[in-house]
Amino acid sequence: MRAASLGPAIEVEGLVKVYPGGTRAVDGIDVAVGRGEFFAFLGPNGAGKTTTIRILTTLLRPTAGRARVLGLDVTERPGEVRRRIGFAMQTVALEGLATGRENLELMGRLHRVPGPDLRRRVDELLELMGLTAVSGKLAGTYSGGMRRRLDLATALVHRPDVLFLDEPTEGLDPQSRAALWQELARINREGTTMLLTTHYMEEADQLCPRLAIIDEGRIVVSGAPAELKRGIGADKVTIQLEAAEGEMTTRQDAVARLLDGFSPLQGLERTDEGVRLAVVDAATTVPDLLRRLDGDGIGVRALTMQHPSLDDVFLRYTGRHIRDEAADRPLEIGW
Amino acid sequence: MLAFARETWYLGLRTLRRFLRVPANPISTVIFPLIQLVGFSQLFRDIIQLPGFAGQTSYLAYLAPGQIAFTVFLAVSWSGSNLLYDYRNGYLDKLRAAPIRRYSILAGELVPLGLECAAMAGVILLVSIALGASVATGFVGAVLILVLCAAFGVAWSGTSFLPALLTKNEQATGTLSILFFPLAFMSTAFVPVRLMPDWLQVLNAVNPISYVIEAARALMTTGYDWGAIGAAVVAIVLVGVVLQGATLLAFRRLTN
Repeated sequence: MRAASLGPAIEVEGLVKVYPGGTRAVDGIDVAVGRGEFFAFLGPNGAGKTTTIRILTTLLRPTAGRARVLGLDVTERPGEVRRRIGFAMQTVALEGLATGRENLELMGRLHRVPGPDLRRRVDELLELMGLTAVSGKLAGTYSGGMRRRLDLATALVHRPDVLFLDEPTEGLDPQSRAALWQELARINREGTTMLLTTHYMEEADQLCPRLAIIDEGRIVVSGAPAELKRGIGADKVTIQLEAAEGEMTTRQDAVARLLDGFSPLQGLERTDEGVRLAVVDAATTVPDLLRRLDGDGIGVRALTMQHPSLDDVFLRYTGRHIRDEAADRPLEIGW
Repeated sequence: MLAFARETWYLGLRTLRRFLRVPANPISTVIFPLIQLVGFSQLFRDIIQLPGFAGQTSYLAYLAPGQIAFTVFLAVSWSGSNLLYDYRNGYLDKLRAAPIRRYSILAGELVPLGLECAAMAGVILLVSIALGASVATGFVGAVLILVLCAAFGVAWSGTSFLPALLTKNEQATGTLSILFFPLAFMSTAFVPVRLMPDWLQVLNAVNPISYVIEAARALMTTGYDWGAIGAAVVAIVLVGVVLQGATLLAFRRLTN
């Protein structure tokens, strides 16, 4: 962590954004991200992540509250903020009729990267993103993954201190996504503070030592992913029972009776094929659990254990799953 | 100011590339004036025998300035669509998040547009010369004609930028380009004002393109008619102040 004494890279206090139509997209967000951190806003579509990141990147004015990036107020000193940040937006924005190299050079020029330095930097980024071979081709001919990588590179030409990423892997296939994750982790290791928004739990989980879960314009909980999951307390153990036709209910009853008073058990739920248990520390309890079932002559066809996921965390705090909400906002139509 | 010029330069290069890398852009701009230039100069060859054409020796020479000026209408008819495209696909936001003056973005559209107008009008001018027209004022006069065309093009492009920015609708971007037809065909491009009925003469007096055509025609057929050139400059400035002034406000609103 460099220059911690300079204060956080991003500070948000009581941030509110109400759109002209009355939609309260951001409803009082407070958050601080330290220099060099890789922080995520995790939440479903429409949670207010994009609105927040657009305020932080000076594209939107907040209705209330304040936001500072590198100590600079985003509404009072937008010019200085813009010089020191990079922003990879949700929609890839490239000039399709310019080559990959030209796209990078233009953004470098606009950020006043001096000529010789720019050449070196562009070569370096093309190499880093695996685009050297296609750098002379029009960006409009690139594949989705290549376009994403080029877009990310355009946000990095001027070596920003803080990089904002709005759903950076949206629409990518699993391989491209994993490759981009590695790239992002590397950029962060080199000292860039990163703020990422995503609705992919794995993404936040893999990349970010700390995150905030956002829903309906508010932060519902924040912390380290491992800590948040530990807070859920129990692992999930799913058991498929051996049962003749029509006997499943009696089998499930038998399991419920048998485990009554079994101290690690926190919950029992019936499924079509057996039961799902919430168990503290499944890895050490399952052998004992199986012995008990076996001792009572209850046949087990299959058993799976699962640690809590960030989705379970989301569920705990909001009562919904992250992906329940495919709340795709309607397209904006002209007029 | 220097920063503004710098940003306009780099953004302008991008705009020019966009224009030149789609061959349909220049081709579709010059094809209509070319057809008229070649076709009408033959079709109405003997029209100059009418008394109103006093002093003209060939209809081609009379017709050419009008066709050169018309090229500009076609060059700017969809000019607002670039900006609208950038607005839609997020590129405008990307530029807004960059440390540049926002009016550089608009200037980065308008400056190359002027160059495109001059270049396309220049093509028609060269073809006219190849067909037998000449420029009485020589090279300097020819450059002056193209400068007038560029300036008129930038001013007139408000008819595309304004609906584009106000409606954010691609179709609206070219809607006002049909103004080309009444303005062009009721101008002095085809016949001198003396041959027009009274009501057309009245309309012609407020038709900005006629002033540009008259200035260009003087430069091609007679000489430096500063009265005509001055009138053209005034017409261009009036159109520019009204249309581009409104465009600037609409752009400000869009990027706020």
